[in-house]
Amino acid sequence: MTATTLATCVGALVTLLVFSYLVKDNLLYRLALQAALGAAVGTGVFIAWRDVLRPMWWQPIQGAFQGKRPWTDALWLVALIPGSLWYFQLSKKWFWLSTLITGLFIGVSAGLAFKSQILLILPQIGASLKPINPFAGPGGLTWASVFDCLNHLVFLVGLVTTLLYFFFSLKSETPLVRHSVRIGRIMIMICLGAMFGSTVMTRMAYLLDRLRFLHDSVRTWLFPG
Amino acid sequence: MIRWLARLRSIDRRWLYLATAIALAIPFIVGGRIPMPPTEPFMVTRRLYEAIESCPPNKVVLIDSSWDMGSEAENCAQLECVVRHLCRRRVRFVVVSVGVTQLGPEFAQRVIKKIAKEAGCTYGTDWVNLGFVQAGSDIKVVIENLCRDIHATRPIDVEETPVAKLDLMREVRSIRDVHLVLSITYSPTPDWISLVKGQFGTPVAFGCMTIMSPYYHTFIESGQLCGMLIGNWGAAEYEGLTRQPGKGTELIAFATYGNCMILAAILLGNLGLWAARRSRRQAG
Repeated sequence: MTATTLATCVGALVTLLVFSYLVKDNLLYRLALQAALGAAVGTGVFIAWRDVLRPMWWQPIQGAFQGKRPWTDALWLVALIPGSLWYFQLSKKWFWLSTLITGLFIGVSAGLAFKSQILLILPQIGASLKPINPFAGPGGLTWASVFDCLNHLVFLVGLVTTLLYFFFSLKSETPLVRHSVRIGRIMIMICLGAMFGSTVMTRMAYLLDRLRFLHDSVRTWLFPG
Repeated sequence: MIRWLARLRSIDRRWLYLATAIALAIPFIVGGRIPMPPTEPFMVTRRLYEAIESCPPNKVVLIDSSWDMGSEAENCAQLECVVRHLCRRRVRFVVVSVGVTQLGPEFAQRVIKKIAKEAGCTYGTDWVNLGFVQAGSDIKVVIENLCRDIHATRPIDVEETPVAKLDLMREVRSIRDVHLVLSITYSPTPDWISLVKGQFGTPVAFGCMTIMSPYYHTFIESGQLCGMLIGNWGAAEYEGLTRQPGKGTELIAFATYGNCMILAAILLGNLGLWAARRSRRQAG
């Protein structure tokens, strides 16, 4: 039995163990779950060393000490100082040292998040302003401009009524507000319906992928080569 | 009869699981195929296709392939169809896995190597896999660094060859050399949109799981995303556009059996609800 065949058999067995949860929560399912978790963490640590730390941190330092790379690469050792500050979270006495690195990271993240959100949200606000006058188009009044404007109108109604639904400080006694909030709720329900449909499709794709894997595994096992 | 129908409302969910599994297993067992009639693809798929078609020869497509076994069910077919198109059109491409999963480069390599070999594309000249870029707590920093200087952000490729020694990478240094960024993962981060499109003006497209697609439609409407592949359905449509049927077309045809099953379950559930109401009315 080759390593690939063994790996396929183990994969097929684990798939069946995970599927067994559909019948009932059981020990074998939990065993597969813990094994998958352990394997993911182990693989993650190994790949982080192999693909990131070793080529991008350890090897430049090693090369610098062996004279194969410029001496400035040895400065990567300095990264150990801020890196080790994270571990002071484990000490009550030296906890304050960890706040230095935490503060630095929060500052950097907040600055970048601010920029990122501005660049993400502002175009959205701009795109929400759509024309609803069919005469205003470059070609004047056409069937296309009428349909476009109707489409924009539906969008506008959806946008305003959905926002109104979340204005909890607004009194909903007047019929206009009450009906608008109701339309907003319907819009949200349509959106949630679309999301639920997408969820079903994704889950189906997952199941299909596993069934295909099981099918291929059995075929390989029965008809090797 | 009505009482029997009312029982449909409270059917044990395990029977439904079993029925769905059997429905999806039918094509594997019987080997039947549902013919897929050619349909007009969704505009988001077509826009991605057109963006790749319009790639000038001096630029490349940057693919962020950050998926592993967790989202292989849909992301694999998406990467396959796009890479097949790129290879056929001889559009050069650079693959990178930013932050999400450390297994990303291995999964991408497995898919691309096979397709590139079939198409006669050479590693280092036609395509490059830069491997995994650790993003830590903030992916924004990595994306911005990649945009400014790819060589400094990832000095070696997936096979640990210095990037500067690869022919293709001598011409590709920053986002200015990139025609399009395509992020294929479970849920692509909107930071690609804000930084790559918002700050540097390079078009961005996504390949995401179907479950995540409603969230990204707003970015299509605003023009922030130039195209999108939605699950296997998107991959199947893309394969239709390139006239190269592959995994997406196969999987979406298989999923039809499951969809029929779900529709039948919805119908039976509603029938059960109607019957329950009717029997209550009759009793009252």
